[in-house]
Amino acid sequence: MHELLNDPVDVVVSFKDNRVFPRTMRWNQHDYNINQVNLVHSAHEGQKRVFFFSVSDTSNYFKLKLDPEILEWRLVELYTDG
Amino acid sequence: MSTDRIIIHIDMNSFFASVEQQANPFLRGKPIAITGKDQKRSVVTTASIEAKRLGVKTAMSTWEAKHICPSLILYPGDPHKYASVMERFNAIYQDFTSRVEIFSVDESFLDVTEEAGDYFGATFIAQTIRERLREELGEHITASMGIAPNKLMAKLAGESVKPNGLTIARPQDVIALLDRSELQDLCGIGPRIYQRLSNLGIETFKQLREFPLEGLQAEFKSYGVWLHAAAHGHDSSYIISPTKKGVRGVSEEEPKSYGHSYTLPHDTHDTLAIKRYLLGLADKVAWRMRRDDYSAKRITTHIRFGDFTSVTEQRTLNEPTADGLTLFQIAWSMVNHLMPTSRSNDQPVRLVGLSASQLTHDRQQQPLFKKEQKVHSVLPALDALQHRYGSGIWTRASLAKTHFKKRSGACPTTPHDADCQHSRAKRR
Repeated sequence: MHELLNDPVDVVVSFKDNRVFPRTMRWNQHDYNINQVNLVHSAHEGQKRVFFFSVSDTSNYFKLKLDPEILEWRLVELYTDG
Repeated sequence: MSTDRIIIHIDMNSFFASVEQQANPFLRGKPIAITGKDQKRSVVTTASIEAKRLGVKTAMSTWEAKHICPSLILYPGDPHKYASVMERFNAIYQDFTSRVEIFSVDESFLDVTEEAGDYFGATFIAQTIRERLREELGEHITASMGIAPNKLMAKLAGESVKPNGLTIARPQDVIALLDRSELQDLCGIGPRIYQRLSNLGIETFKQLREFPLEGLQAEFKSYGVWLHAAAHGHDSSYIISPTKKGVRGVSEEEPKSYGHSYTLPHDTHDTLAIKRYLLGLADKVAWRMRRDDYSAKRITTHIRFGDFTSVTEQRTLNEPTADGLTLFQIAWSMVNHLMPTSRSNDQPVRLVGLSASQLTHDRQQQPLFKKEQKVHSVLPALDALQHRYGSGIWTRASLAKTHFKKRSGACPTTPHDADCQHSRAKRR
């Protein structure tokens, strides 16, 4: 099941080799452990550059959006296997 | 001469689908098709390697693709993601040579003559690029590569082994490469040229080589010379490196036109709905022109009906314009009489399109009337908003209920959007 969302989420990250790695995400009162950062890409919204992290746990794919201007994370896409 | 050069052609395999499979591990190993915004009324823009094996082809309607492959997963395309990945792989190529030609969104030519020295060096560069692609983009985004003395042969070589192939055609190998290829494998021989060659009794590159040049010129004019040279593995075209870098690393040539079209959610006879979509398209076209400091002197409108018949009309203006409302008014005056109620066959409308051409940097003259002046003076403020926050930051009140489907990379900015259904991910 594939859904487009726009939900603010809490994300715990680690920094390594000048890169950001989301580790856990809290959404709908539930914590999801991120196993894999599969792809990171950026896009422009007007003059602002935002970053998208395509990450997954064992059952779900999440696309997280980081707005570096206001340091806000949002869950913008969800794909659940099966 | 072309034979002195060493060219690498790199073609990303099933690019959009591979990017999605890299991003989303649950799509890997499955037949997927990247589609437009409205999956039911869209076409396959890219099929994954697994889907291609099951018979799904690019440009097939999603309905037909699903019919051929019921297990096919339709996935909406995300242009921002592909542009970002494209920018990154072309940046990797630039680390190896400054002579990089971006041939298309997923294909590039690299002239590595000086950097490689010989074909062994070129092979090393190609393998190193492959390793960098794997490290920096991920192992599911793969490329086929061809190395040859010119662009035409490098592309033919690269496309001879897919996916993830590396084919080397040294100058002494190009005839053998051509002779094991089909005529239509060569970039520049499409179905029509192929048919005309076939009518001359030419079915293979060997036959094309042996056909008299005069005969080819008689049939194809100057293109006959190109065909004759191509059959001998010759191509003198140069690498066209971007002279000016665009935001996505693509060369910025002068645009010839700006246009948008939209397939409606349902075929409709509703004139008001069609009018609103056309106004929305006019605003998008006008904004892009103003952003790039252009005005247009020609407006072309396009309507496709439910039976897939189309009508196109165009009008040349006395004064160039980059105002959305003006574009719409001209476009609507052209298509109004083409609406279903005015047509004998009464087909509903499936798609509306609008494009602006004959571009100029001349500014539109200040309107004479006060009301129009007021509207005109608002545009710079609205443009400043769009520059700062992106397109879609404002809309006309008359379009408030007209919903243009968004792609996945452009999720609605408000959490209250009707498309944003809250849901719960599968918990472990």
